[in-house]
Amino acid sequence: MSKTERIEIEPLARVEGHGGIRVEIKDNKVQNVEVRILEGPRLFETLVLGKTPEEDLSIVPRICAICNLSHKFAALRGLEKALGVTVPEATQLYRELMHHGEMLESHSLHLYFLALPDFLGYDNAIAMAEKYGDVVTKALALKKFANKVMRIMGGRMIHGENPILGGFGRLPDHRTLQQLREEAEGFLPFAMETIDLLASLEVPDYMERETRFLCLKPPHDGYGYYGDILLASDGKEYDVEDYKSVISERVVGHSFAKRGRYQDRPFTVGAIARVLNLGDRLTGKAREARDRLVNERWYRNPLYNNFAQAVEMVFSLEDMVRVIDRLLELDQPEIARPTRETGVGTGGVEAPRGILLHHYEIENGLTVSADIITPTAMFLDDVEAFIRRASESLLSKNELDNFELRLEMVARAFDPCISCSTHLVTVEFE
Amino acid sequence: MSGTKTTTSGGESKGRERPRLGIYGLTGCAGDQLLLIHTEDHLLDIFEAFDVRSFVMASSNPVEEELDVAIVEGSVSTEEQREHLLEIRKRAKILVAAGNCATAGGVQAMYAKDGSFAERMRRVYGDDVKFVTEPIEGSPLDEFVTVDYYLPGCPISQSQVLALLSRLLHGEQPEPYPHPVCHECKLRENRCLLLDKKFCLGPVTLGGCGAACPSNGVGCTGCWGPNPDGNFEEHFKLLQSFGMSKDEIIRRVRNYGGHKILQYIKDLE
Repeated sequence: MSKTERIEIEPLARVEGHGGIRVEIKDNKVQNVEVRILEGPRLFETLVLGKTPEEDLSIVPRICAICNLSHKFAALRGLEKALGVTVPEATQLYRELMHHGEMLESHSLHLYFLALPDFLGYDNAIAMAEKYGDVVTKALALKKFANKVMRIMGGRMIHGENPILGGFGRLPDHRTLQQLREEAEGFLPFAMETIDLLASLEVPDYMERETRFLCLKPPHDGYGYYGDILLASDGKEYDVEDYKSVISERVVGHSFAKRGRYQDRPFTVGAIARVLNLGDRLTGKAREARDRLVNERWYRNPLYNNFAQAVEMVFSLEDMVRVIDRLLELDQPEIARPTRETGVGTGGVEAPRGILLHHYEIENGLTVSADIITPTAMFLDDVEAFIRRASESLLSKNELDNFELRLEMVARAFDPCISCSTHLVTVEFE
Repeated sequence: MSGTKTTTSGGESKGRERPRLGIYGLTGCAGDQLLLIHTEDHLLDIFEAFDVRSFVMASSNPVEEELDVAIVEGSVSTEEQREHLLEIRKRAKILVAAGNCATAGGVQAMYAKDGSFAERMRRVYGDDVKFVTEPIEGSPLDEFVTVDYYLPGCPISQSQVLALLSRLLHGEQPEPYPHPVCHECKLRENRCLLLDKKFCLGPVTLGGCGAACPSNGVGCTGCWGPNPDGNFEEHFKLLQSFGMSKDEIIRRVRNYGGHKILQYIKDLE
C-alpha cells in the first residue's frame, strides 16, 4: 500500500442500526479512521417536550428495540427522581427481573448470533449451525427464555407498556415466577458450557491498547446493573447527577455525533467495564466464570467484551433465582405515586452495552427538557481508537488478509447500537 | 480463527427455486427486524424457505440483486435513504412496509407537516450545517414508492409477518387485518378501561398487537396507527368527558399517528 487507499466497510453488518467504518491509509500510514453513523435524525429530545411522564415513558424506549427496557428503566429512574416517587422493594426487584431478561436477550443475541460467527469463521449463525448445531439450538432457547421474561415484565416482547411510573400495570403470579426460576436454573449448565467454549478460543491481539472503563456502581455490595454513582477504572467515583462534568461531549468533524470522553480521553463502557470494575463482587458460578476467563489482556482488548457478556449471562441467571426467591416472600407492591409535579432527575442504568443516562426536567407535570446519553455515544471514540490501532498493527506486520473483517470484528465486539447513538445527533456533515 | 466461509443461506435449495428475500432497515429502532430474529422457532424455517439475499442486521456479505420480496422497516429520514428505497423498489417484485415507521413515519413523524421540523433540526444541530445527505422529516415509504403490503405495528406482530411470508411463499395474497384493538381486547375478555374513565386509544387504533397494553390495565397509546373505521369524533368526545382537553387528545393520538393520522383529525382540531 504505497498510495492513498480508502477502506470502506459499509454496511457494517450484524450490528443494530445503519453504520459503517472508513479508514484512510497513505504510504502505509493510517491517516484517518471514522466510524460513520448513517441513520437519519429522529430528534427524540424534541419529541418529549410538552409531554406527560406517561407519554415520555412510552416514547423514549422507541429509541432502540434491543435495549428498549433499559431505556424504560432509565427513564423511570430519572422521572421518579424528578417527581419524588419512591418505589417499594418488590417493585425494585420486579424491575431487576425485567432487566435480567433484557440483559440475557441482548447478550445471547450478540454473543451467539452476531459475534461468535466471527470467532468461528462464518457469515452468520445460521451457517454456523451446520457445525455448531447444539450451541445454536441452545442459544436460541436461551434467547427465547429471555424474550419471555421481557414479555412477561414488559407486557410485550418489544416496546411493552407494562412498566409504569411507580410500578407495573400487571405483575406475574407466583406460579409464573416459579416457572421462570426453574427455567433460569435449567440454563445455567449451558451458560457454563459457553464459558468453556470461550476459554478454548484464541483471541487475536492486533488491536490491543490501554483504555479506561466506566460503569455504574450498584447501591449495595453485590454486582448489578443500575446505580447513582459513576465508577471509573482509576478508582474515582462521581455522583450521576454530575454526569455532564464527568463525561464531556465532543463534536467531531466527520460526524455530527457528539462523542463522550472521560478526562478528555476515550473510554469503554459495557459488560467488559462492569466485569473489570465490579468483578470482585461476583459470587457463585458467575465468580467461577469470571476467575476462569479474566486475564490482564482484558484491559487492552475489546474482543473480551464478548467473554464478559458470557460471565454476565451466568450472573443474570443466578441473580434471577435470588430475585424470584425474595419476591415469593413479598406481597404484591402498591403503585408508588408522585409527591410533586416539578423537579429534575437523572436516571442511570447499565444497558447491555453500557451506561445509559436519562435526564429530565419536569414543570407542572410536563417535560420541559430532556437529555439522553447512550452507551454507544460514549464508546464510539474508543471504537475508533481501537480500529486505528488495529489498522496500524496489521499494516506494520503486513497482515492484509481479512483486513476489513478484522476491523469489523473490533467494532462488533463493542455491540454498538446505532439506533441508540443516532437519536442524538448523528448525521454526517462536511 | 479457523474458518471456512459459507454462503448467506443455511439450507440447500430443494428442487425448486426459493423466493429471493431482502430485509432492510431505514431509520428506526430496528425492532421489526429484531422481531424477525426473535422468531426463534421459525428463524431457521425462514432461511430455509427463502433465499435470504440481504439481511445485514443478521448476516454479512449481502447480495444486492433482483428480489422477489423486500421487507423494509424504518422511516425515510435522509436523502440517501430515499434513494436507497427507490433502488430497492426497482429490484423488488413485492415491497412490504414493516412497522409503524415504514407505514406511518413512526414517533419521529409525530409533528408531520406542521412545519416544525426545520426549527427542531436547528435546535439540535445549530445553524449553518451542511449535511452530506440531506435530512428529511421521518416519512412513511409510500410517500416515495408504491407499497404492495403493509405490516403495521410498533413493533410488527410475529404471527402477522409469518402469515404474510407463508402467503407470499405460496404465491397467494396476504390478507389485510382491519380490526381495532378493541376487537382483540374483547377476545381476551378484558374489562374495558373506558368504563373506568381511563385514557385508551383502542377504539381508533389498528389491532394486531393482541391488545397488549389494555390486557395489563394500561391504556392503548395508539402505536399501531389509526384504524380507518374508527369513529374519531365520538371517541374524542368521550375522552373529553373524562376531563381531558382536545389539544391533549390530539397530541397523544399524533404520538404514533405519523402521516396516517392527519386525514382523520383534520376536521377535528
